Formats: sequence, C-alpha cells, structure tokens
Amino acid sequence: MNTKLSRGLIATLLIISAMLVIPSTTSQPAGIEGIGSGGCNCHGPSPDSRVSVVLDGVPESYNYSETYNLTVSFSGGPTSPENMNQGGFHLYTSHGELGVVDGTAQVWNSNELSHTEAGNDQTSWDVTWKAPQTDSNVEFVLHVNSVNGNADGVAGGTSGDYWNRLSIQISGPIEVLEQADPFVVLTVLILVSAILLALTLTYVFYSRDPESFDWEKFGPWISDWLTTTDHKKIGTLYFVAGLFFLGVGGIMALLIRIQLSVPGNDFLTQEQYNQFFTLHGTTMIFLAAMPMINGFANWMVPLQIGAPDLALPRINAMSFWLQPFAAILIFTGVFSGAGADTGWTGYAPYVVSEGAHAGTTMWAAGQILLVASSTLTGVNFLTTIAVMRAEGMGWMQMPLFTWSIMIANVMLFLSIPAFGIGLIQVFLDRVIGTAFYDIAAGGDPLLWSHLFWYFGHPEVYVVIVPSFGIISEVIATSARRSIFGYRSMVYALAGIGVVAFIVYGHHMFTSGMSPSLRFITMLTTMLVAVPTGIKIFNWLMTMNGGSLVYRTHTLWALGFLVTFTLGGFSGMFFPSIAMDTHLHESYFVVAHFHYVLVGGTVFGFFAGIYYWWPKATGKMLSERLGALHFLTAFISYNALFWPMHRLGVWGMTRRHHTYFVTTEEALGSLPMEAAGWNMFISVSAFIFFFSNFIMVGNMIISSIRGVDAPADPWGSWSFEWMTTSPPPTPSFGHFDGEKWHDLPKLKDANDHIANEPGVIARWFERLMVPNDELGGHSE
Amino acid sequence: MTEKAGHLSGGFRPVRLVNMSVTTVIFETLWNEYIFWSLVVGAIAFGWLYHHSFWYLSKSGEVGSTENIDDLQVGVFPRHNDNIKLEVAWTLLPFILIIYLTYISWAPLDAMWTSPIDGNHGGECEEGESSNNRILEGSRGIIRSDCYHIIEITAQQWFWSFDCLDLSTEICDTDIESMEVYGSVPELFLKRGETYLANMTSLDVTHAPWFQHLGTKEDTVPGQNTQLWLPITLDMTEESMILCAEYCGDAHSVMAGKLSVHD
Repeated sequence: MNTKLSRGLIATLLIISAMLVIPSTTSQPAGIEGIGSGGCNCHGPSPDSRVSVVLDGVPESYNYSETYNLTVSFSGGPTSPENMNQGGFHLYTSHGELGVVDGTAQVWNSNELSHTEAGNDQTSWDVTWKAPQTDSNVEFVLHVNSVNGNADGVAGGTSGDYWNRLSIQISGPIEVLEQADPFVVLTVLILVSAILLALTLTYVFYSRDPESFDWEKFGPWISDWLTTTDHKKIGTLYFVAGLFFLGVGGIMALLIRIQLSVPGNDFLTQEQYNQFFTLHGTTMIFLAAMPMINGFANWMVPLQIGAPDLALPRINAMSFWLQPFAAILIFTGVFSGAGADTGWTGYAPYVVSEGAHAGTTMWAAGQILLVASSTLTGVNFLTTIAVMRAEGMGWMQMPLFTWSIMIANVMLFLSIPAFGIGLIQVFLDRVIGTAFYDIAAGGDPLLWSHLFWYFGHPEVYVVIVPSFGIISEVIATSARRSIFGYRSMVYALAGIGVVAFIVYGHHMFTSGMSPSLRFITMLTTMLVAVPTGIKIFNWLMTMNGGSLVYRTHTLWALGFLVTFTLGGFSGMFFPSIAMDTHLHESYFVVAHFHYVLVGGTVFGFFAGIYYWWPKATGKMLSERLGALHFLTAFISYNALFWPMHRLGVWGMTRRHHTYFVTTEEALGSLPMEAAGWNMFISVSAFIFFFSNFIMVGNMIISSIRGVDAPADPWGSWSFEWMTTSPPPTPSFGHFDGEKWHDLPKLKDANDHIANEPGVIARWFERLMVPNDELGGHSE
Repeated sequence: MTEKAGHLSGGFRPVRLVNMSVTTVIFETLWNEYIFWSLVVGAIAFGWLYHHSFWYLSKSGEVGSTENIDDLQVGVFPRHNDNIKLEVAWTLLPFILIIYLTYISWAPLDAMWTSPIDGNHGGECEEGESSNNRILEGSRGIIRSDCYHIIEITAQQWFWSFDCLDLSTEICDTDIESMEVYGSVPELFLKRGETYLANMTSLDVTHAPWFQHLGTKEDTVPGQNTQLWLPITLDMTEESMILCAEYCGDAHSVMAGKLSVHD
C-alpha cells in the first residue's frame, strides 16, 4: 500500500515538475527573441543555395551614430530581367535604424524594412542604416526571394520561386563579447539553483537518516513533509523557500549590477531592467524576508511560550502552501518575457495602463495570494501568543522575540487589508475593465499611493521588528546578562508599531499630496528616531558589566548595531524637506533602505540562524566558517552600499536602466568619478553574494557531520532551551485526548508575582463596574 | 562638471565637508548640520560599542556558569536589569535632538513649498519686471524674490514639454537639443536671478522632473495640477540635466531634458 502510494506520489511530482519546466524552456525562443529571425515571407519551404545573397556596404565595425549606405542584391534562381517580377527582400537589424533612399523599399519599423511593390522588379535595392549610439554586437538578417514572375505570382502564388537567407554580425568601435539574453541567464540560474537545492536537501536528509530513503519509506517521508501541520516542519519549509528566494533575488541584483557597472551599458534593455528591479524588490520583501520571518516565528514562538504547537496548525500549513503558488504567479510573466515592470510599489496609473507588461496582472494576482497568506498567519500568531502562553508567563514575561513577532503581526494584520484592496482594484482594472485608476473616468492615482504606503511603511517595520527581537535575545545571551530595560524595550517595540501607521506620508513628499498632510508626516517621521534610539542604547547598555562570549551570532548582532545605526542616520535626512526634494528617488534612498533591510533585517536573520540552528537541527555550526562568513560579508556589504549614498547626492536616479557621466565632450547627469564607484559597487556585490554561500556550506557540513548540540548551548533562559535539540513533537507536554499535561511553567527571578496587575492595570480596575459574582468586589 | 563658484555675496557661506558640486546652498547647510549631529551620535554609539565589545570580554570565553552575571537559568524569567533614569535620559535626549533638527528644517521646508500668494517669492511679475532673487544672509540658503514668472511643464511618456507661455525669450525660451548621450531632448533656457513657478501636469502616467542642480522635484500627476519652484540664483551652473524621477515605464531612464541658464 505504502509502496503504491509513494510511487503514485513521485510519478505525480515528476509530471508536475515536467509540466512546469517544459513550457518555460521551450517557450524561450518564441517568447523572448521576438522578431529576430522572423519577417521572412519566404517563397518555398526551405532556403535554396542557388540563390546567392549579398549585403554590401556593411562596415566591419561601425562608428557611433554614423549613417551607412547599404546595397541589398542577389543573383541566381529563376529570376531574370525579362520577368515581370524579379524578386523581393526583407532586412532586419538588431540595433540602429534602417531607412530608405527611394520608393523601391519601405520601412516597417526602425529594425525592419522590405521592398515595395514598385521595387518588385529589381534584384538590387539601396537602403541606409544609422549605427547605434552605444557599443553592441549588431546582427543583420536578410531574406530574399528570387521570383520567376510567372502567372500565379500576380495572385500571390509562389510556385517555382526560390529564396535564401544571409546573416551578418558586426561590432562597434569597442568589441562587445557575445552575450546571452539576460532572461535566459536568469531562467537557467533559477532552474539550476532549484535543482541544486533539491539535490542538496535530498543528500542532507539522506545522510542524516539513510533508512528513510528506502523505497518503502520514501513516499511516506516526502508526503509527511508535504502535508505536515507541525510548526517546526512548516518553519523549516518557510526557511528553505525564504533562503531559495533570497538567492533568486540576489541573482537578479547581480544582473542589475552587471548592467550598472559601466555608464551607458546595454547588457539589459530598458524593458528587461524594469522587470528585474520590480521582481528583485517583490521577491526580496515578499518571497524572501517574509517567509524567513515566518520561519523563525513558526519555529520559535511556540517553543518560547511553552506551547505544544500553534493554535491553528492547519491554517498555518495553508498559509505556507499559498506562498509557492503565489511565487509561481509572480514569476509567470518573466518566463514569457513580459514580467511585471512597475516597481514593487506599482504606482497607479502606470500599473493599470496599457504600457505595463502583461505579467503585471499575474504579479498582482500572486500578491493577492500573499495577502491572504499573511492575514491567516496574523490570526494564527496573535491567537497563539494571546492564549497559549505557559503558566506563569504574563505579557511582561514574554521573551522579546515573541514580543517582536506579536507587534509585527499586529502591524501586518492592521495594514495589509489596505494593500489587498488596492491589489484587487488593480487586478479588476486590468482584467475586467473597472475604472478605479482610470484617470479619464475620474480615478485618483494618489488613492493607490495612499493604500500602498499605508501598508508599505508598516510592512518595512514588519520585516525589521523581528530582527530587533532576535538581536535582543542574542546580545543578552552573549553578554550573559538579562536584557537592559526589558520594559522599555517592549514599550519601544509597541511605540514603533504605533508610529508605523502615521509616518507613511514621507514616501509621498513629492507626490502632490496635501502640504499640510506632508507637514504632519514630516513631524511623525522624525519621531521614529526615539523608539529606535531607545532600543539601540538599551542593547549597548546590556553589554555593560557583562561577560561577552563571542560566537558567530554575537558578531552578527554587533555588526547589526553598526549597520542599523548607520541606516538610521541616513533615514533622518529624509524628513528634512529641503534635503528630501533632492534625495527623493535617488540612490541615497537605495543606500538607506538597503542599510536597514540588509544591514538590519538580513543581518538579524543571520544572527538568528547561527543562534537557533543547533536548537532546530541538533547539530552545531562551525564557528570558524561562521566568523569567515561574517568578515567577508560584513566588509563587502559595506563596500557595496556605502558608496551609493554619494551617488545619490550626485544625482544618480533610482530605477534608471543606465546613467551617463559628464565628460569634456558630453553632459551627463553624474560626475566622472561615478563610473568608477559603480564598478566598485558591482564587484563588491559579487563578493557579498558569494560570501553568503559560506553559510550555506556551513549548514551542509553541520547537517552531515556536525557535533551534536546540547539542549542549551549558549546558556539562555527562555523555554526553547529547555527541550531537547532538536525538539520532539509535540514540542512540549502530551495530550491524553482531553487535556494537555506536563506543559512547562515559567518561574520569575523577580519578587513580584506573575500576572500581578501593574500600576496602570490597577488604576483601570478602579474604573470597572464591580463583578456581582464576586460579591460586589472587583477581583 | 562645472564647479559652482562664489555662492554668495559675502555673509554666510557653508563649510564644505565634502565636494558636492551639484547641490544647492539650502541643501548643503542642512546636510552639514545633519552630518555634524550624525557624527556626534555616531561617536557616542560606536565609541560605546567599541569599548564594551572589548572591555567586557568573557575571561574564559566560555558560557560557563561562573561568569553568568545575571544568573540566567532555563525556565526562569531573568531578574530585571534596568535603570529608569538612564532609560528616560535616552528617551528625552534624542527627542530634544529631533525637535532641534525639526526646528532647523522648518524654514527650509517653508521655502521649498512657499505659497504663490505673498510667499517668499511675492506675486507674479508684471511684464518687464525682474525677480531679482537673492539668498538671505544668514538664512541657511533661503531664497527670496520680488516676483516670479509662470511657466508650464507637461509630461508624457517619455518626454517633457516646456511652455514659456507669454514670457519674453530673454526670460524664458525652449528648444530641442541633440545631446551626445541622451539623443534629442527638450531644452529650457532660463535667466539667472529670475524665479519661476512651474505649473505641471501629465497626460498619461505619473512622472516627476528632477531639476538636478536645483535640488528639487515634484510629481506630475495625470488629472491634477502640481507646482514646483525653480529659483535660478546667480551662481547656478550653466548646464544641468532634468531627469524623470518617478518610474513611468519603458523609456523612463532616458526621459531627459536640459536646463541652460544665462545671465
């Protein structure tokens, strides 16, 4: 039975993966290359070598913008000067502009031209070609028909005609190396990464437990992963998905950096570049950062509060399984060469205009699924944290990581409906022609900006706040101290959660929004510095009087303090309007949010991975490789993003597929030095990308032959360190059909009694109507 | 890039911590002040971090219980480690600092978004009247004018249309320029010492002209009118770019214009 089931399951999986892979690989030539090889209205089934085709006047290498006179001619075949019609041609060029000199040829578009009816009785035509302004490898494709001019030709027939084809490659003043289509590169890299990931995971699981790879047991093993509702396994699934998409987003970032490494580059076309930065943003925020947060939360929240699992395990599984399908929808457009090109912000009315690529519809649809997933996750975690804390754990005894997940989910839960509504409006506008953002029908483009940023700003705090939680745990444990100012940490987190909702207008300072609203959000944006400042000083003070034990997670936490503080400084420049009007939409903004989202969020994740890996897998990671990862990544990261501040001040604009520097001959938007800095940034980007594979290698080595981890390797206090490494299922206690038994109880080293009402609670109690059941006394 | 020389006729002149030849005085004064406070806060935070990272090093380098300062034990909420005075101090001090930073940003804000009715730039110029704009001494680069000229900017995928309305060609002129790198772009000729108010709109999607050497930009929104001040001071660089700063589709990055100013 099991064998049948597992065979059936594997066959289904193979069919599904084949269906996913085959269309995307075979659709490449037609879907992406377009008209390059088309345009031949060929007379006859196959080319005929008796027709010899000549294209005269094509230089071996062209000069920028120079116009060349070309002559198309052919000989051979049935053509002869006595025929009524002698021949025709079609010329295609990949770059530059084709033009005509007389009435014998006509232009289809700048890349294509062909003969006219008047030019039908010739074997030679004169045309012009204006060379492109930049270096490219140019391809000419020429098709000619040698026509016999017989009677059926008048009716459009082709009997007895021959045709042939000629293609010529030339290069510019500086030869450009042959390059592949970036979409093919991206697709290949994604597929190769996915296959490598699958192989690595299979090998790691195999080497940990070869028994389960017996044919009898493999089916149940894999179906267990696919149908699990255990919070730890779902957490692992989230992690695998999150790390995979972190890699995919990174590959897109590298392709973007190749394009930007030199001014005026044409590795990516405008259309391709626009899709790459859109998907880079969407992937990193929604498919990498959010799943990794959910991975940490799934693994650690139930363990930290002493709960056997999440409150709604099946809802949890559903939250996860919405994500892969959302990811496929979001990427659908890319595999057809027309991915979303709107920026992750998807500003209206461009997002609903005809100019936006077809993939935008699927991109919106995928994000609607993610909204559903995040909403379900929010319900689940808020319920779990509210009702399933261990005995003795009041709100103010919750570990700070659990607090951070709670605040993040409150923010997400309150803000994401606005985004969902906006996406549904966009989807309906694009699909069934509603007019939410149709300007002619009175639609308001600012409505989208408001809906998006009402969600978008809390969202960026949603991705940074869990890192605050991780760093709080790591610094306190590493310093062998309890966190300094636990209560002010909680209030600061809550403060960030409140402020998040009233600052979003700072994304719209130059949007034409009401000036009074801009002014208010300027004031509130300044306020963000207060709670984050409290947190930074509290972390620093935690180390005071401590006994700092350096482990890899400690290095990442201290690195986080540096980069996040720097990101905080640059953030303070934006609410100052006279600076913002210059810096808005420049690389200064790009530098700022990468400092907080990579230096903050991702460094926090790395700290968390090194900190909880032994707990989750039962194996220790190598400290030596960990320190090497930290050093290479921290240095290359700063080299990558720090110079972007300067580029932004100089005037380098976000979302531009290329830039130009000012030279003695030509005015560009940037000074000369900008070119060198961009190359430096691109090189650093490659180092940063590949340095993170040290961590992946560390994980693989640890899984296969790591040292067994004890229950509490770092000496922390919260419940996750109480159970074995890796923890059993259910994580705590056992269920006898009616009640849970043996759940842990939290003790408190402080004098007060757990759950004792505090000052504010006592004050509120005095306002309450006395409870009659208690004899008219308040409790 | 032409270096801007002699910003100001006497009086207040900002210290250049870095060579930013492309920015305005109002930007540079604020920038210098913000960089100064960033350095102060950074020196405190990073000095503190540097000191504690080495000073409070574990003696054994191990997690053994002898150095467990707050006696952390699994399953026990650790004893509180706080100091209300310190916590209040680093709530209030940053708060005071941001109030100060808001205060110094206030007048520049008012200058960037000043009202067209009796604001920093007075009212619309009569024919033949000059704006005569100048940077107020000791004012962090705030510009005042006697009056201003109105021009129109219309954005469209993917080019700008500048319209001088009925201004004389001495004050405002337009042309199409063929540039080495951007190809053919619209050019706007403005006069030094004059202040302009651009009434802007868009015909299709949202765009935003970034007048790079004026340090200013504002979205052009279809179906709406927005306004942007273009005060051309006496030290304005002769040639600078106008780029699109709000993503608008395929050719967004080459949707350029050129600003030329003359005396």
